[in-house]
Amino acid sequence: MIQLIIGQLLNGAIVGALYGIVALGITLTFGITGIVNFALGAFMMLGAYFTWYGYEQTGLPYPLAVVVAVLLVGALGFAVDRGLFRFTRNNLVNGLLVSIGLISIIEASVLLTWTSTPKDLTYVLPGSLRMGAILLPKMKLAVFAVLLAVIGSTYLALTRTWIGRAAFAYAQNPEAAALMGVKTDRLQTIVTVYSTALAGLGGALYASLYSLEPTIGAYYVLKAVESAILAGIGNTIGALVGGLIIGVSEGIGSVFLPTAFRDAYGMLFLVLILLFKPSGLLGSK
Amino acid sequence: MIRFVPLAALVCALIAPLVLKSDSTFAIVTFGFLLASLAVSFNLIFGFTGQLSFFHAASFGVAAYVTAILVGDYRWNFWLAIVPALAVVGLLAILAGTICFRFKLREFYFAVVTMAFSEMIRLLVVNWNSVTNGTLGMTVTAQPTLWLPSGSVAVSSARLWYYVALALLVVTYVICQRVLASWIGRCLAAIRLNEQLGETLGVNVVLYKLLSFVIGSVLAGLIGCFYGFYTGFIEPQYLSITQSLDIIAMVLLGGVNSLFGPVIGGLVLTALPHVIDLSAELRIILYGAILIFVILVMPRGIFGFFSRPRHVV
Repeated sequence: MIQLIIGQLLNGAIVGALYGIVALGITLTFGITGIVNFALGAFMMLGAYFTWYGYEQTGLPYPLAVVVAVLLVGALGFAVDRGLFRFTRNNLVNGLLVSIGLISIIEASVLLTWTSTPKDLTYVLPGSLRMGAILLPKMKLAVFAVLLAVIGSTYLALTRTWIGRAAFAYAQNPEAAALMGVKTDRLQTIVTVYSTALAGLGGALYASLYSLEPTIGAYYVLKAVESAILAGIGNTIGALVGGLIIGVSEGIGSVFLPTAFRDAYGMLFLVLILLFKPSGLLGSK
Repeated sequence: MIRFVPLAALVCALIAPLVLKSDSTFAIVTFGFLLASLAVSFNLIFGFTGQLSFFHAASFGVAAYVTAILVGDYRWNFWLAIVPALAVVGLLAILAGTICFRFKLREFYFAVVTMAFSEMIRLLVVNWNSVTNGTLGMTVTAQPTLWLPSGSVAVSSARLWYYVALALLVVTYVICQRVLASWIGRCLAAIRLNEQLGETLGVNVVLYKLLSFVIGSVLAGLIGCFYGFYTGFIEPQYLSITQSLDIIAMVLLGGVNSLFGPVIGGLVLTALPHVIDLSAELRIILYGAILIFVILVMPRGIFGFFSRPRHVV
């Protein structure tokens, strides 16, 4: 029983950190461009498929496959931002619908290229650490560590670098930031591309643990939006916290509660948060 | 001129069966009418009140399930079964709407919460196996009867369904038009254009938002009642987010600022995949491309693109 709960805890934490990295992209994009980019889920799924292709089909070593996948997804993000999202800045409904159009295109393209058959990576890092009676798979620990490191360094970059502080300033007062020399358009593009790359990285790491299907993107982006709202949209570290709360409660919940309604609990929780504390759990008011 | 387009279109639709012969054309146009009615009812909430609701598929699907269960399992008369179906949809809409509007959820938050409600209802339908048969869905074999002067007939032929669907479209259209032409329509416009200003001028924002939401949802339910009987098959997919998105796409394609726009959008988006012969994946890609194109290039939709901009009250 303890082994089961610890196992679910670790699973929940990893899945939660994956929600968190996509949620971070959602939060950043929303803060800087004023739209909710649902297509981040599709980019995550693309990152996973690119990694699978690089590692399994081309024979690249896993870390290199991850880097290539993230760069490719980032480049796609750049193209999409210049071609589409540039025209929907601060227009929530249009941005939402453009990202939905994008999801259909990306998902259908993946289906067309790689079919709907689930894909698996052969073990990247087999074996596990033994701590007393508890087994911790090495790969899961590695993925969790990388996710935490990336989210942590994003936070540091946002607070310690010029561009990060520019982003904060812009989120607080766009006009004042522009007057202080923040190049608005460039900042928005950088943030959009960075968010897509984050989602791509999430997908690339996901690929090493679970099966790939074209529908994972849609599932993960809904959870990511839940996580972002849960912690209060616009909150960087909150995205990770929100993701972990949802991931862990799903993992632990699946041990004690009927799994059929697993997704419904998250929804219910989300509705309650929005009704009674719209600024999120970590929000100020 | 543009005022007479809907009337001219109705006349065309009434005489079209004299020219049309093949059953497959009838089927496409009938589906087009049903989905266009859905788009028209959705536009009351989205285009005319300014609320992006993701609840429409739930209203549509719930009504389809309730009628099918009452007629199939309890042997009710189809027309009688519509009443409880619409009552259930109305109650659900009042519940969801009251929660959302009382707590002043706007824009994205309204969209997310209605989506959450819709998903919860879908999960209930998927998991309530004993009643809804879960993910497998239900087949509907019964047919509604019509009482004509010549005696009662079962609505089964493609031609008869064509007229039933057309009648539904006209009913939905006229109800929405009457609502918008009344004082309600002016209150909805006030809410859409400037909610705070409307409130200070004495418009009961919560009440009128709720009114538009409930009327739109019940109309979606009415179409749902018929839809299941036309296709002969009901599945949880009817309540999915994708279904809601399809409706939004139709409205946007046709034009948000008009009553007639969604009719065009519904017909075009239903017919297009059949006119151009493509594989399922390419069809979805085309669909996404059209959606993006319309939003970025013609934000006022097909109908708005060809009609003069006018001041909508």
